[in-house]
Amino acid sequence: MNSAVRLRVEGIGKTFRRRNKPAVEALRDIDMTIAEGEFVSIVGASGSGKSTLLRIIDGLIPASEGRILVDGRIVDQPGPDRAVVFQQDSLLPWKTVIDNVGYGLSLAGMPTRDAHRIAQRFIDIAGLGGFEHHYPHQLSGGMRQRVNVARALAVNPKILLLDEPFAALDAQTREIMQTELLSIWQETRKTVLLITHQIDEAVFLSDRVIVFSARPGTIREEIAVPLPRPRTLELKRSQAFVGLVDRIWKLIEAEVRAGLKQG
Amino acid sequence: MRRLYDFLEQDTRTASLARIAISVVAVLLIWQVVSMVVTNRLLLVPPADVAAALVHEVVDGAMWTNATATVTAVVTSFVVSVAIGVAIGLALASSRMLSLTGGPVLSALNSVPIIALAPLFIAWLGLGFTSKFVLVILVAVFPVVVTTEAGLRATDPQLVEAARSFNARPMQIFTTVTFPYALPFIVSGVRVAWARALVGIVVAEFFGSFAGFGFAILSASQTFDTARVLGYVIMLGAMGLIGSVLFASLERRLAPWRQE
Repeated sequence: MNSAVRLRVEGIGKTFRRRNKPAVEALRDIDMTIAEGEFVSIVGASGSGKSTLLRIIDGLIPASEGRILVDGRIVDQPGPDRAVVFQQDSLLPWKTVIDNVGYGLSLAGMPTRDAHRIAQRFIDIAGLGGFEHHYPHQLSGGMRQRVNVARALAVNPKILLLDEPFAALDAQTREIMQTELLSIWQETRKTVLLITHQIDEAVFLSDRVIVFSARPGTIREEIAVPLPRPRTLELKRSQAFVGLVDRIWKLIEAEVRAGLKQG
Repeated sequence: MRRLYDFLEQDTRTASLARIAISVVAVLLIWQVVSMVVTNRLLLVPPADVAAALVHEVVDGAMWTNATATVTAVVTSFVVSVAIGVAIGLALASSRMLSLTGGPVLSALNSVPIIALAPLFIAWLGLGFTSKFVLVILVAVFPVVVTTEAGLRATDPQLVEAARSFNARPMQIFTTVTFPYALPFIVSGVRVAWARALVGIVVAEFFGSFAGFGFAILSASQTFDTARVLGYVIMLGAMGLIGSVLFASLERRLAPWRQE
């Protein structure tokens, strides 16, 4: 694997200050790097600021402290080098699948014909062939998330940021989407940062899992996942896999339970 | 019976035409029955007499004169009030300050019966086109203002965030997310505006004009020609119905995902 650093997160801190309310420190002293072509996941209890970090990396919200570097260059705005797959439905309901997948390209000024040609390629990769002219409301949740993934890939980003992309799906669909994401990743060799609260999802997909602690979010531990690739769902039953999941669960269990009591 | 229900519930053109036909026939039937009980022809005339009066108006050319006057005035004023309404709605949605300070004035104006000011407008602006134009705009503009602002503010923040993550400039966010999202809202306001514009034009014609449906209704009722009064009222009803059906289908076309 290439060891060039693609994404560097340096001393990121984020405090939300709102009028008439106490300031909330969401993130503190986050330092991490992701190598080119690496698949890294962040897991943590809710309230650990993991989605906030993803938004800062994408440039959607500013950091209070620290900086983000992509290939050594500071970024503080959204750019074509990063693309996000959001958790919820963020597809435009009045556009067809092919127009949604080509949306980022059209925004960048690409003529529709070219945008559609590129979109078609990622529609095929995402297994959406035949649904080009369907509208999002005509598709299942899993299909819509495929469109979301294809839309992010179509702009050819260096880094793919996934914000709990399968959280809204049922367990069976989620497992299938995980294997499909792996094969897409194998094919495109993108650098991926995945935010998830599903520990088994993080271990199954990643080269490395970063465990966050909550309030404020800090890095508790980084755990390498030395499981062989290509991976199949069989792996989830192996001793090594279960051991890793268990180890990560023990790291965040106390906080998850505390979060339950807070409601 | 069950089959009929299922058919009428469908979201197809045939089904909606059938719904309209059934309700029109029902009204005609009730009307016919009532007019057989109420025999004073000054109060109520049966549907056939009204139809005869309408035919008579068409034959002697009065229908054409009145229709031209009313349709020209109401369509012009309606189109302008939609344009003004969307513009004001845009301004209110884009400026918090304007919305906070201008909002109360607008909702006060909205609840004032502007229709009642018709004689005043005619005194100010004369008997011609201008007074009708202004009156129709004043009654029709508010539903468009309100729905435009509400639609623009209702935009799903997820969609805006996704657009921003793809580097969309503010103008692109407006044209590709906010405005398409607001469009079906705006059309529902336009539908209400059309009904209001029809009321506005008739009242304006009552007070100051020499042609038009409002003028014809007033002059017919002054000569106790009940058939002619009802005939022109039916014409207005038809205009209202056509507009409503048209805008409702446009609304569905613009937002198919809301059906589910």
